[in-house]
Formats: sequence, C-alpha cells, structure tokens
Amino acid sequence: MMQRLIRGMRRALSLHHPGRNLEVRPDDVFILSFPKSGNTWTRFLIANLAYPETPADFSNINRLTPDPEALSKREMARMRRPRIIKSHQYFDPRYKRVIYVVRDPRDVALSQFHFHRKRGLIEDGYPPEKFVARFVAGETGPYGSWGENVASWLATRENRPGFLLLRYEDMLEDAVRELNKVASFLEIPPDAGRIANAVRRSAADEMRKLEKSQAHLWSSTKSTRQDVPFVRSAQAGGWRTGLPEGAVAQMEAAWGHLMTHLGYELLLPARTMTGTTNFDSRFAETMLNGPSR
Amino acid sequence: MIYGIRRILKYALGRDIAGRSVAVRPDDTFIVSYPRSGNTWTRFLVANLLFPGEPVSFANIERLIPDAEAQSSRYMKRLPGPRLIKSHQYFDHRYPKVLYIVRDPRDVAASYYNFSRKYRHIEDNYPLERYIGDFVHGRLSSAPWGTWAENVGTWMAARNGRPTFLLVRYEDLIANTAAELEKVASFFGVDASPGRLHQAVENSSADQLRELEKKEGGEWVTTKNKRSDIPFIGSAVAGKWKSVLPEAAVVEIESAWGHIMAQLGYHLVTRTPESVETQLADSAVIGKQGE
Repeated sequence: MMQRLIRGMRRALSLHHPGRNLEVRPDDVFILSFPKSGNTWTRFLIANLAYPETPADFSNINRLTPDPEALSKREMARMRRPRIIKSHQYFDPRYKRVIYVVRDPRDVALSQFHFHRKRGLIEDGYPPEKFVARFVAGETGPYGSWGENVASWLATRENRPGFLLLRYEDMLEDAVRELNKVASFLEIPPDAGRIANAVRRSAADEMRKLEKSQAHLWSSTKSTRQDVPFVRSAQAGGWRTGLPEGAVAQMEAAWGHLMTHLGYELLLPARTMTGTTNFDSRFAETMLNGPSR
Repeated sequence: MIYGIRRILKYALGRDIAGRSVAVRPDDTFIVSYPRSGNTWTRFLVANLLFPGEPVSFANIERLIPDAEAQSSRYMKRLPGPRLIKSHQYFDHRYPKVLYIVRDPRDVAASYYNFSRKYRHIEDNYPLERYIGDFVHGRLSSAPWGTWAENVGTWMAARNGRPTFLLVRYEDLIANTAAELEKVASFFGVDASPGRLHQAVENSSADQLRELEKKEGGEWVTTKNKRSDIPFIGSAVAGKWKSVLPEAAVVEIESAWGHIMAQLGYHLVTRTPESVETQLADSAVIGKQGE
C-alpha cells in the first residue's frame, strides 16, 4: 500500500519512466529493435542525420533520440517534436511510424551474452548454451523473445506504409545506402554530404572513443563493468566463432523460418528442422507477404 | 489537481482497471480473443467444464474466470492461483499460457456494430460501411487492443505452434462444440469424459446464456447500464455477415486482411489471387494445433 502510494505520487508528478506506457503522439517516430541489434548505432546515425548541428555523443543521445526507459514521463512530454524515440518494445498498435532494425539472432545472443557480463548479471564463465536456452525462451529481458519481438512487428507492419525495415548487416555493408532510406522515410533531403557526415560521425571507432570518455554519463553504461565495452565488435557473423554449435542449433530450431525470411542463412538446416519443427515462424513468414493485392 | 489526487488514490488502493498492466503470475492461463469473437461463450464452456459442481452464470463468472479488462488490480491480486483470466489484449509476452479464440473478422465486424449500439458508442443510424472503415483502421473503442489483424497476427506470429498456446476457431467451436472443447480440456490437463463434456456444452448453450442474460444482464459488469433492448449474446452463428454486410464492406475487410484470413481458413469471396491460394495450403499448419 505505502509502496503503491509512493509509486502513485511519482506517477502523478510524472517522475516515473513511462516505458511501455509512454503517451504516444501522432508524429512520433520510433527507432525500434530487439536489444543488442544495433539500436545505439542507428540512434547515432539518425541523430547525426536529423540534427547535424549537434554531433551526437553519449551525453546527449538520450535527448536527441529520447529513451522512455531512461527519461521521466515529464521529460518525454517536453521533448521537441516530432520526437525520434528509441524503443525495444514488441508490437504496440499506437506506434505509427517505425524504423525497425533487425539483426541475425545468433549475433544478438552473443552480444547480449557479453552485455550481461558487463552488467554483472552473469559470471564470465557462464555456459553459452545455458544463456542461449534462456535467450530463446525470452527470459533474458523484458521485451519478449527475439522471435516474438521481430515476428510481432513483421506480421503486422511489414511492407506497409509507416514501417521501414533495416537489417543491421546491410547497414554494416553500406551505411550510406541504408541511411538514404532513412532520410527518405523521415522526409529529410537526401543530401550526400549530410549523409556521409552522419555516417562518419557515427563510425564504430568514433563511438568507442566517446564511450571511453563518457561511459559514466550514459544511462546504459554507468554502473556497469568498465572492462567490458558497450560498443563491441560492430561486425556480422561473430557467432560463427563465438557460439558453440549447440547454441546455434537451439536458435535455428526455434526461429529457422523467420531467419530464412529475413535472409539469414541457416547453419544446420536439415537437422534442426525435423522433430522440433516450430510453426510459429512459418506462420509469420507466410503472413509476412503482406496484404493480398 | 483533484483529478490527479483521485488517480493517485485509485492507483494506491488498486482500484484501477487491471487491463494490460495486470500483474501476471507464472501459473496464470489466459483466454484471449479479439472482442466479439466468442470469448464469453468460451469462458462459460471452460468454467462449466472445470467447475462442474457450480452452475455458471453471469453472477459468478467474474469470480471463476475474471475479466482483466473489467476488474481492478486489487480484485485480480486477491484471487487465489492458478487463475484463469479473460483478456482482449494483443500479444503480451508475459502471458505464460494462452487459449486464443479467433473468429471470421467479417462476423466480428457485424457483431461489433450491434455491440457499439448497445454501448451507445454509435447511434442506431450510424452507417454500417463507415463503421467497417473504422473497424479496419482501428478507430473504434477497441483501438487499445489493436485491430483484428494486429491482435490475431501478433499472437499467431509470436506463439502459434508452442505447447503453451492453443488456437481455437469460433466456427469450429460452433460446428463441433464437444470435439473442440475436448482439445481445450486436454490443453488444461483435464481428462474429461464424454458425459462431462456434454454437460458443459449444454450448460453453456446460446439459449441458456440468453436466459441468464435476461435475468442477470442488469448486474453483470459488462452489460449493466447498457441498452437492454440489444442483447449481448448475439446470434451465435457463423457466416451471418453474408446477409448483413454490404459488398463494399466485405471488400474492405478482405483487401486489408485477406492474407491472414486465408491463413486461418476463412474463404475469401471478393478476391482470389494466386498468393492467397498458396497460403491456403498452409492452413494445414494451423490445423495441427491441439493434436
């Protein structure tokens, strides 16, 4: 009762983090992804693209692209509009303009494994198979499993107006090309110099330098282990050497169809697809073709 | 300010509607559907199946299978587990076990129109075609639950095929109630005899529910203070849309959601593109549920 009264007061004064209960405005744009899928890099790219007069860094990124998990409801309400909001939420019908970044779940799992080490949630020697089993079950975070998060958005919004799907791997391959898509989605003039500048300012090396000097300023990195970096390898395919085959097999068995739909080649197609066949991703995949035309 | 204080107190006392923020427990089971998809009938079927000693009515259904959309946080908190909970929410990752009822959106739309009149959300002369536009584009009071396709699509994409998710089509439930209820029973881990199934079906029949609504509709949280000249228990048939919906309305629904409808085995009448045909073959995927 007392706890709820205090929480109720904080809520009434709008001092709580709104998170999923964010009050959505019709002109809000969301930078959305499952955690550890390149969201921070995308935030830097888009902030540097949309607000070239303010180079993005870890001290201002929460204001340039506000995070409803890190800012109070009051701060969220006072942001300049249109807001470009960072989010990891699975489907929410109120989000009408969404840039969704998807990444190979095998790399996501590996990245989250290291992030949980950084946050002291697991020991350095924690078995990766065990972590991946929890990852597949959606128990390593509050945003559903990778498959639930991705499929909930793709099944409702893929190929529809107001939804831009970006693959992290495509961004790595050609950030300028992908940022051009973002510019057109946000109706920002596709000025080559402006886009190149945003890509340069958001390069992994730049972000690593910023992390070294500013990690204590940013909600996601302060009070975490400083010997494990937040900005990590910024590469695709690290799972090939970083994860044991058993861990890979678990993910491919759960989400094989969804991964294939997204163009992620499976390592173990035949073996994992029999016996443990999972229909959810196949249903998602067939639905993903969008409305019949 | 007064409003703010009332809100704090309401929240502190747990008088706020549970809704999407209901505190979920690991042993909860949810009966989920879009509104007007047979959720109430399913609640009665399940309650009559699981609690055969107690005649189920609108007077005790909120205790047996409470409605998270109508009950307060405190009410939900005080219920002993394992709880069975009715919900209309689109995908929520916290729900551990879900019985999902899906119904042909054309029938959902037709039923919803009458419901909106009952709730005085629209006048009797509100044009049906305009209403269907509102329905398809998420402009009704149901918007917080997503559109029909968003609700069905998020649950199916995220959970279909898992042992903790059972999909039941309202149309199958109408056509073969006892057989579908048997699947539900085994989902709940109940070994139900044919007699027990039959009794649950009898006690939950549309006629029985209509009788109960006449007697208790004025007291039930969902129907009290609503127009009593329009019943909550509708026609309880499949395919009524064929005689009720204008063609333009059917076109609007099918062009927006045809791919999901075909996937669920709902035959499209205004479009038969190749892509839909190939997806129909895949409805076998859904048929495997419950086996």
